[in-house]
Amino acid sequence: MSVNAWIVVGDQPSISNLITVARSLGPEGGTVAAVVAGPRAVAETVAASGVDRVVWCGAGAPEGSPAEASAAAVADVIAADPPLAALSGRNPGDRVLLGAAAAKLGAVVLTGARSVSASGGTTKVLNAVYGDISEETVEVSGPVALLLDGGSVPAASGDAVPVEEVTGTPYGLKVIETVMSEFEQVDLNAAMRVVGVGRGLRAQEDLALIETLAGALKAEIACSRPVAEGLNWMGKDRYIGSSGARISPQLYLAIGISGQLQHMVGVVGAETIVAINSDPNAAVFSQSDYGLVGDLYELVGEITNALQ
Amino acid sequence: MDFELSDEQELVRSTVREFAEAELAPVAGEVDHDHRFPEEVVPKMAGMNLMGMPYPEEYGGAATDYLSYMIALEEVSRGCATTATIMTAHTTLGTFPIYKFGSDALKHKYMYDMASGRRLGAFALTEPGAGTDAAAGSCTAILKGDHYVLNGSKIFITNAPYAEIYIVFAKTDPDADGTHGMSAFVVERGTAGFSVGEREHKMGIRGSSTPPLYFTNCSVPAENLIGHEGMGFKIAMSTLDGGRIGIGAQALGIAQSALDAAVAYAKERVQFGKPIAANQAIQWMLADMSTEIDAARLLVYRAASNMDHGRPYSTEGAMAKLFASETASRVAGKAIQIHGGYGYTESYPVERHYRDAKITEIYEGTSEVQRMVIARAALR
Amino acid sequence: MKIVVAYKWTSDPEEATVGSDGHVDWSRARPGISTYDPVAIELARRLATENGAELIGVTVGGKGVGVPLATKAVLARGLDRVVVVEDDSLTHAGQAELAAAVAAAVRHIGDVDLVITGDSSVDVAAKMVPTVLAGELGWPALAEVTDVGGQPGALRVGRAVPGGAQVLEVSGPAVLAASADATTPHVPGMKDLLAAGKKPVEHVDLASLEVAPRRAVMTLTGRARPARKVRKQQILDTSDPAAAAAELVKALRAVGAL
Repeated sequence: MSVNAWIVVGDQPSISNLITVARSLGPEGGTVAAVVAGPRAVAETVAASGVDRVVWCGAGAPEGSPAEASAAAVADVIAADPPLAALSGRNPGDRVLLGAAAAKLGAVVLTGARSVSASGGTTKVLNAVYGDISEETVEVSGPVALLLDGGSVPAASGDAVPVEEVTGTPYGLKVIETVMSEFEQVDLNAAMRVVGVGRGLRAQEDLALIETLAGALKAEIACSRPVAEGLNWMGKDRYIGSSGARISPQLYLAIGISGQLQHMVGVVGAETIVAINSDPNAAVFSQSDYGLVGDLYELVGEITNALQ
Repeated sequence: MDFELSDEQELVRSTVREFAEAELAPVAGEVDHDHRFPEEVVPKMAGMNLMGMPYPEEYGGAATDYLSYMIALEEVSRGCATTATIMTAHTTLGTFPIYKFGSDALKHKYMYDMASGRRLGAFALTEPGAGTDAAAGSCTAILKGDHYVLNGSKIFITNAPYAEIYIVFAKTDPDADGTHGMSAFVVERGTAGFSVGEREHKMGIRGSSTPPLYFTNCSVPAENLIGHEGMGFKIAMSTLDGGRIGIGAQALGIAQSALDAAVAYAKERVQFGKPIAANQAIQWMLADMSTEIDAARLLVYRAASNMDHGRPYSTEGAMAKLFASETASRVAGKAIQIHGGYGYTESYPVERHYRDAKITEIYEGTSEVQRMVIARAALR
Repeated sequence: MKIVVAYKWTSDPEEATVGSDGHVDWSRARPGISTYDPVAIELARRLATENGAELIGVTVGGKGVGVPLATKAVLARGLDRVVVVEDDSLTHAGQAELAAAVAAAVRHIGDVDLVITGDSSVDVAAKMVPTVLAGELGWPALAEVTDVGGQPGALRVGRAVPGGAQVLEVSGPAVLAASADATTPHVPGMKDLLAAGKKPVEHVDLASLEVAPRRAVMTLTGRARPARKVRKQQILDTSDPAAAAAELVKALRAVGAL
């Protein structure tokens, strides 16, 4: 069986969307295969997810190796059965593995695919570019590497396929220390309502005000880049933007956020956007459905009251 | 005639702009509101070699050309006019007299610390009775063996008491007229008999510290005399000649900041269903403001370029300062007008630009003095 | 000991304009060092100083990425020298092509112990060039790097992982992609700017490099401006904050957002 698509998996088996896209590349008779570089347990989850073939490269990696150590093995596996497309999710480890495969295959890399289809050995992709300000339709003949939102961990479906083991030569990478974040992890994509916070918030203690609002709204809290990275007030998984999360909730409240392109590209899919900012000149207002010009310290409290 | 800046000059602009936007603009409002001297900013400027730009590297300077120094001053001023005052008063007024006229011993003692920004300088010429008529000063410096004894007072001295090094002008020959009887001295803070009074509360550049100085039998070593006795007036005028271009650059920064604010506001402020930027009245105001600032910029840069190329810059500098300072006041006033009622409040920066602009028409030679210089050249 | 920093000279899409046909006009955008590359340069500079290593900048792209203004701007940030590959064919190159060109430049320099890059560029934000670059060089790669210490060949690398952070030992040459918040880059001083013009710049012809060819061929067949939701842009009167809040909640309930 020729392989149509290889799904590249690191430490996390969140690949439901990748399987859907891989399947859509057709035709019947083409295989959707997965190559896993993380722990064996991940390979086993993937083996039960409905893919046609699973290869596990982690066997040769010594204790304490990260998934990236098996990148060369992953690339070799894929190159041995070259596909129409190699796909991975956006986690840093997955990107490294996909990059190794793309180099080995001489593939074209696309990271903004909105839709993908294939016919007669050519892959057609609608690809968003430059912070999503434009969309290009491209046709690729030859291998293409696609970086996509991975999706969620797929539920077990039908019979699991056997896990093939491959031992490669791992790179000299060894994890010697792991520190877990004090921040609780969140899946923003699953939230119906999201409250985003920007630099308009003066102090970390003021997050309490936002938390009360989010509670009343039953919303998740997110932020712009400076709040997650520069100020480190929240985990990086709460950062919305061109190199962060892209979400499409029913409601997005942008509080103290100026409306820069690099942030707003993360919420263009929101049904309704509300902005609160003290600067009437802020770019966010032209990108919102409802805007309130004023002091967030006053308005957030009033909105919380109005909701209760 | 090449109107393009060199790569280095472009980089000076973009780098200092980056610094000003990150470090100066965020505190400019508070510095103004609280009349606060931004002490924390001075070492940061020194770290970027911004406190002695035109001086040779052997003296701790960055050895840039004068035009680069003007561009840096303009960008600093665009972030915070107070900081620009501190920078020019130190770099030109406080340091140039020693650099140009001081003995090797004096240069060796002070230049490195000043050009590297480690010690802040100040220029003490103005007295209660001697402003534009600088030669009418009544401070005296009487030679007594191996030291001079200074008596008198000075007023509106920028950077005091934060400065450690003061260029003080006093009459060594009280009988001669001021243009020949005045001398210049280096006086260090902490010298017995030298005290600093209460800071003035000013209309603008409020973070700049400008108190009076008092000399009561203040003893200054004879080797701290700059040049020779009687050279004081010449030293002062020579220093102010170059300094006035710097005030032009400061005015440019204020004007540009005001224009940028007015453009942003005009695009966003909606009245009668459209942004006010769509109205011809506003457009014409912005057109005039842009043109005047550009003209002022060309005058300032030309004067600085003349200095760099060994061409005369006295009249050109006077024109630059005169036009740039009056432009800054006009532009800031129009910027408030474009903002309407909001422009009159502290929520917007334009009222600060308006208050900051005014001093550029006054200090380091009033507009009237500049007109005298220009008229003299015109009537030759 | 040689450390390479791969950087990009490009423009911010915030300054570009997009036509209704999706064509992106960059003419009004001012090019500069990609926003977060100075973070990578800063990390690399510190490591190079600690190890007495040579710090070499590498950039590839279309005409213009190697003009004196560009090379001086990046040299002012602490590089010892810069290698530039400028070619028209690279103007619209994809991530894999760019990575292959950078890899060829690294091989041309020879005996490179480490390559440090930014995680993503301001214009494309694809986050793939460093990883494909590593694949081209046959080296391991780590992304979201926040910290690098030790010596090339025996490095200690800190990096962010979902839910936390790790420290890894890296033996042998590697590609490290620095996270945007790894450190705050210093602003170059006036002396750094003036010294930049005196440092060496090497322009290398793309044709003289052995760049691994792509086996895939991509053809552009269409372009469009993405259909954006038309936003109401309704500004509520906030002179009475309580009334404004009530009005907002009422409006949100009416559109079913609550």
